[in-house]
Amino acid sequence: MKWSSFTYLTKQGLRSMLHNRLMTFASVGVLTVCLIITGVAGLFSINMNSLMDYLGSQNETVVYLNEDLDETGLTNVDSALRAISGIKEITYVSKDEALQLLKDSMGEYADLFDVFEDGNPFLANYRVVLEDVSQLNEIIPQLQVIEGVQQVRAPVQLSDMFVNINSAITVISIGLVVVLGFVSVVVISNTIRLTVFARRKEINIMKYVGATNGFIRLPFFVEGIAVGLLAGVVSSAIVLGGYQVLCTYAGDFPGFWGTLLVSVLLPINQIWARLLVGFLVFGALIGSVGTATSIRKYLKV
Amino acid sequence: MIVFDRVSKVYPGGNTALKNVSLEIKKGEFVFVLGHSGAGKSTFLKLILREEKATSGRVIVNGKDLSRMKERQVPYLRRNMGVVFQDFRLIPTMTAYENVAFAMRVTNIPEKKIASRVPYVFNLVGLSEKMNKYPDELSGGEQQRVALARALVHSPQLIIADEPTGNIDPELSLEMMELLSAINDVGVTVVVVTHEHELARHFNKRVITIDHGTVVDDTAAEGDFIENAFDDDDDALSDPDALEEDAEEVEV
Repeated sequence: MKWSSFTYLTKQGLRSMLHNRLMTFASVGVLTVCLIITGVAGLFSINMNSLMDYLGSQNETVVYLNEDLDETGLTNVDSALRAISGIKEITYVSKDEALQLLKDSMGEYADLFDVFEDGNPFLANYRVVLEDVSQLNEIIPQLQVIEGVQQVRAPVQLSDMFVNINSAITVISIGLVVVLGFVSVVVISNTIRLTVFARRKEINIMKYVGATNGFIRLPFFVEGIAVGLLAGVVSSAIVLGGYQVLCTYAGDFPGFWGTLLVSVLLPINQIWARLLVGFLVFGALIGSVGTATSIRKYLKV
Repeated sequence: MIVFDRVSKVYPGGNTALKNVSLEIKKGEFVFVLGHSGAGKSTFLKLILREEKATSGRVIVNGKDLSRMKERQVPYLRRNMGVVFQDFRLIPTMTAYENVAFAMRVTNIPEKKIASRVPYVFNLVGLSEKMNKYPDELSGGEQQRVALARALVHSPQLIIADEPTGNIDPELSLEMMELLSAINDVGVTVVVVTHEHELARHFNKRVITIDHGTVVDDTAAEGDFIENAFDDDDDALSDPDALEEDAEEVEV
């Protein structure tokens, strides 16, 4: 195909968008709504993952040390802990600190524990935070075998529950996006079918004057892609705008929700590029595939 | 130009449109294909245009066996033939000029050639002064001439007119037939498909009659009739009532 024909056909496609303004508007509108719904579901799932990461980072495993551990032993435990991969941070809590922590948590009843000042029953320990709480079951045995460790107290139940919830969320959110994406394809290809139907006469004439299928398809493709891109831009603007508003006013939500949203919501600058590119690609893809499938029927003349 | 060699066409569902049709239309001929609706005329047309494939037998157009032709070669076959449809099939959102230019544009012809060729064909069909009108601003006869201009724009060796008198006044039909016959005079093969045998009878041309999917009659042109056919006062074409009666007769 020559360049001049290509530009002619591209212009032809864009002109017909203008000419069939109402139909273009309908297609862009339908696709925009589909993209918004899919995009909101996607954002929801991204933020659910962020929430789960946040909750997972709240894990704490306590590694109690033998009472008779000396300086050398302590250093050994320290380096052994640091050698295990998957540990985000470790904090040493000495016997005195352990007592002090308990007293602090007791507030005005702290005096009750003064009796322990002479014979402190608490064990020195390490507070270990894992990078990924789902690895807990693999890491516990590695903690237990360290020389000088007396006991490991880990949130095993929490970890198991966490893993289950996390996989459920992943499945649900992927399912949601896939189903909504599929619905979008069906809806938009029906809309495009209408625009193609409205122009079947034109297609028929082109067939009879000897236009090749590629020639006939190109303007429709241009139109489909343009509609997709347009819908991508509009829906990105709406979704990102809404998200920005949510981020800005997250702190104003009462109580727990405010705190949760502020700590969990991903900042918009981490999201917008992915979302925009996703919307544009998805829009253009649906636009062109929808056109290709709806036009095929009329090319068989 | 066109050869049908024992051609049968059975549509899915068992409807037999053509049965064992054999005929030959030579280059430069002017032929009427006559038959009432449902006789198999449309199928005959569709086979020539390669819109449909023969169920059995061979259809050869321009030396090419259409049943063996690949799908992507069909557009190039069609560029060698011009079709004038009963309903004209003009694009209403384009001017007459654009409609004709469109046929050239979609077949990859440079803009320069289009600019010189389109006015030329409009001149051929005598519609130069109305090139920039939209189809709905033109009369039926004029629209048909635009359709003819479009059919001629590729300098085809074959022109097919499908019911050229179906949608226009009898006087205009006559004009149309004169145009087609003038085109034929310069060597273009013309096939006119119609259900009006009065029309076919008044032009002394070869008439192929199709009925129930078979060729029932194939009469060659005879004598020198053509000269006075236009002068004939009893010409059905210039008498609307006669034409109407004729149409009723055909319907039965």
